[in-house]
Amino acid sequence: MAGEKNLAAAGAPATGALTLGRVNAAPAQTWNRLRTNDVTLTVPVRDRKGDVYFALPRLFEGVACGMGADVTAWAESQAAGARYVEVPRGERRAEPIVVSVSAAAGEVADTGVMVRAGAEATIVVAAGTTAGDSAPSEGAPDAAPTSGSLLRVIAERGARVRIVEVIGVGAGEQHLESVGIRAEADARVEVSQYALGGGTVTLGLSCDLTGDRARIDLTQRYHAAGSEHLDVNEVVRHHGRGTRSELAYSGVLEDAAAKSLRTTIDLVHGARGAQGNEAEAVLVLGDDVTNKTLPVILCDEDDVAGNHGATIGSVSPEQLAFLASRGLSREDAEALFVRALFEDAIMAAPCDEARAVAVARAEAVLGPEVAHDFSDSLGEGGEDAC
Amino acid sequence: MSAERSAAEAASEQAQSRTRTQVADVDRSLYDFTKSEEGYERYDDGLTPDIVRSISAKKDEPDWMLEMRLAALEEYHRRPMAPNWGPSIAGLDLDHISTYVSPKTKQAKSWDDVPEDIKDTFERLGIPEAERESLAGVGAQYDSEIVYHNMREDVAKQGVVYTTIEDALHDPQWEPVVHQYFGTLIPPTDHKFAALHYAVWSGGSFVYVPAGVTLDYPLQSYFRLNAAGAGQFEHTLIIVEPGANLHFIEGCSAPKYYEANLHAGAVELFVKDGARLRYSTIENWSKNMYNLNTKRATVGADAKMEWVSGSFGSHVSYLYPTTIMAGDRSSCEFTGITFAGATQDLDTGCKVIMNGADTTASVDTKSISKDGGVNTFRSSVVVGRHADRARCSVSCQSLMLDDISRSDTIPAMDVRNATAQVGHEATIGRISDDTILYLMSRGCSEAEARTLVVNGFANPVSKELPLEYAVEMNNLIKMEMEGAIG
Repeated sequence: MAGEKNLAAAGAPATGALTLGRVNAAPAQTWNRLRTNDVTLTVPVRDRKGDVYFALPRLFEGVACGMGADVTAWAESQAAGARYVEVPRGERRAEPIVVSVSAAAGEVADTGVMVRAGAEATIVVAAGTTAGDSAPSEGAPDAAPTSGSLLRVIAERGARVRIVEVIGVGAGEQHLESVGIRAEADARVEVSQYALGGGTVTLGLSCDLTGDRARIDLTQRYHAAGSEHLDVNEVVRHHGRGTRSELAYSGVLEDAAAKSLRTTIDLVHGARGAQGNEAEAVLVLGDDVTNKTLPVILCDEDDVAGNHGATIGSVSPEQLAFLASRGLSREDAEALFVRALFEDAIMAAPCDEARAVAVARAEAVLGPEVAHDFSDSLGEGGEDAC
Repeated sequence: MSAERSAAEAASEQAQSRTRTQVADVDRSLYDFTKSEEGYERYDDGLTPDIVRSISAKKDEPDWMLEMRLAALEEYHRRPMAPNWGPSIAGLDLDHISTYVSPKTKQAKSWDDVPEDIKDTFERLGIPEAERESLAGVGAQYDSEIVYHNMREDVAKQGVVYTTIEDALHDPQWEPVVHQYFGTLIPPTDHKFAALHYAVWSGGSFVYVPAGVTLDYPLQSYFRLNAAGAGQFEHTLIIVEPGANLHFIEGCSAPKYYEANLHAGAVELFVKDGARLRYSTIENWSKNMYNLNTKRATVGADAKMEWVSGSFGSHVSYLYPTTIMAGDRSSCEFTGITFAGATQDLDTGCKVIMNGADTTASVDTKSISKDGGVNTFRSSVVVGRHADRARCSVSCQSLMLDDISRSDTIPAMDVRNATAQVGHEATIGRISDDTILYLMSRGCSEAEARTLVVNGFANPVSKELPLEYAVEMNNLIKMEMEGAIG
């Protein structure tokens, strides 16, 4: 494929486990007793003695990733290859750049995408549990079957980048999704994230809006149930003048699910005219849910605007009364919220790999019949199949 | 195209280099006066078991209190500061802080019996005048000891007790009560400076309001730290019995020195079922002060806790009044404003812990940053598993008055109940040009317009204060603005 290099190294079975502390650490921390500043993860480690580590071009070392330096180092050392994709100046790339990993197979990807000035590209991360062509992971002592994706993106002046991440693992599995973005002047980045649970989903994103008028629009929808765990850390730093960030989160938590969401809008000195907005709506449906949120705004410039809003709760009695008058019970109403979330994930998936992850999770949560209804409504492969 | 962009950028530059609101430093002449320490009793700088024993012996305390002090001292030495959050306190060296400084005078019940220099201090701060006009009782602490304490007779006849912790410990009726409550809401193990507080505490107030009693006028304690290189560690213990109603006001100030001073007080508030307590604070420490104060309230069923907090002074502040909503249908309101100017790093906010069913909490804070001042709003809302139908809203608004200052908001929420509703909103920004333009179109000068906006920004807090304290707050913000906008 033109403009793409797969700097591959051989894979090897996991032979040990590594505990990573201070993963997904918020840049501005608070009381440690709240246990919301970061998360500790145990990940499998493959024996790489004698391997040559292939790495992305040095330019990507300057792109910080959301889960932190330790996860970056782990992913770089464990990835089967370092994949570099360059979208030439002014080119509109129709074919999505797809990163597909499986927790069951213990796959880790390290991807760097350079979108040159004025170019356009779509990047899809599909993180699921299907083993695919890879051999099932043998696992590692003391570590859950784990997949990882390290994605670093440089969007040059005027570039347009769309990133779609669909993540849903199996019970007892975990996925580490760490994204770093650098957006130069007039670049625009759209990110759609679907964290669909299944086991432990950890997701970090770091975006530096370095150029004037650069912009990021991020939407995240999530679902977690049972004893699933979702841990998110997303940071947007506004360096350039007139930069803009719009972050929107919504999700449903059921049963005894646990979620931690850290978001940071950092309005750096000199980012005159910058504006950062963040909003979260959480629907809590389980009596044993733990929902933690740390929405931070850091402001070192006066000519800026930073806004945050959050609503956390259940379906209100007034809403339920309205729905009851239309013949919907509480259970019906709550099921509709969950169904809408998965339907959106399936509809928005731009390629088969992502759609397969969403359908698999919809099957697990809503049952095969509902999931197949969604698939059928899209037709064979969907319009945007790759 | 590039020419168009250049023109747009030039216009943007022009707009950005507009005249910013200029706000002068707070006029501290009202507070920046010192009195000689000649003849004062001053313990050696540093923190040793001997110093702790000396403080305890001087107060002729019960054994349990000395044991608590010594255990707290060990905890202080054992406990590290959290390395990952909060302003730096590197300039604070306990080896250069005297933990006990006291004028050689006995506690008076009449201002005429207070030594002239101390009386003059409080008169300049307006305390006797306020007492005459609008207070039910006053306590005045000067350095480490209360020098004046008095309460109106009609209030005392209702069974209200307003005295010092030391006097309560020497009263057979109240010593068991102090023993029962003291250090239970804020344990010495809470954090490093809570431990320090319990090791060397001195002064403060004990307030007991019997069931069903409503005080028509507030009680006030004023804390003045006159000595350089000293610490003030007063302890306030307030018990509001079921159905009672109290407004307590706390004021504090100090003259400015070039060596660090430390304030590490503790406030424990017990608001029983159906009671109401309003706790108002205007904090105006000087800019060499490390203000590491701890305040906490527990609120019973159908009870209400109201905090009104104005933080204007100190070099560094760590201040987060905490409300534990233990009782069903309890409620809490927190209204606060923080003004950070040059050399100030103020980390303030609040904590709300909702454990009872049908509890409601409202947090409304404002902050203003200027001249390189750093404001951090830090909060936590924790909704426990049994807090069915709890409702909480948090609003935080920050105003930046120049581009060399900083304002951060770090709110944490931990919700563990499916029927709770928690809302949060935060905004950070400057005074918009549109707002100024609108007000100017209505006849205001630009200076008046900017003053109007800042005063309006602070108004929700000042309106919650008694008139004379609102005036003091305006003295700290409004009056200085009006003469200083360029």
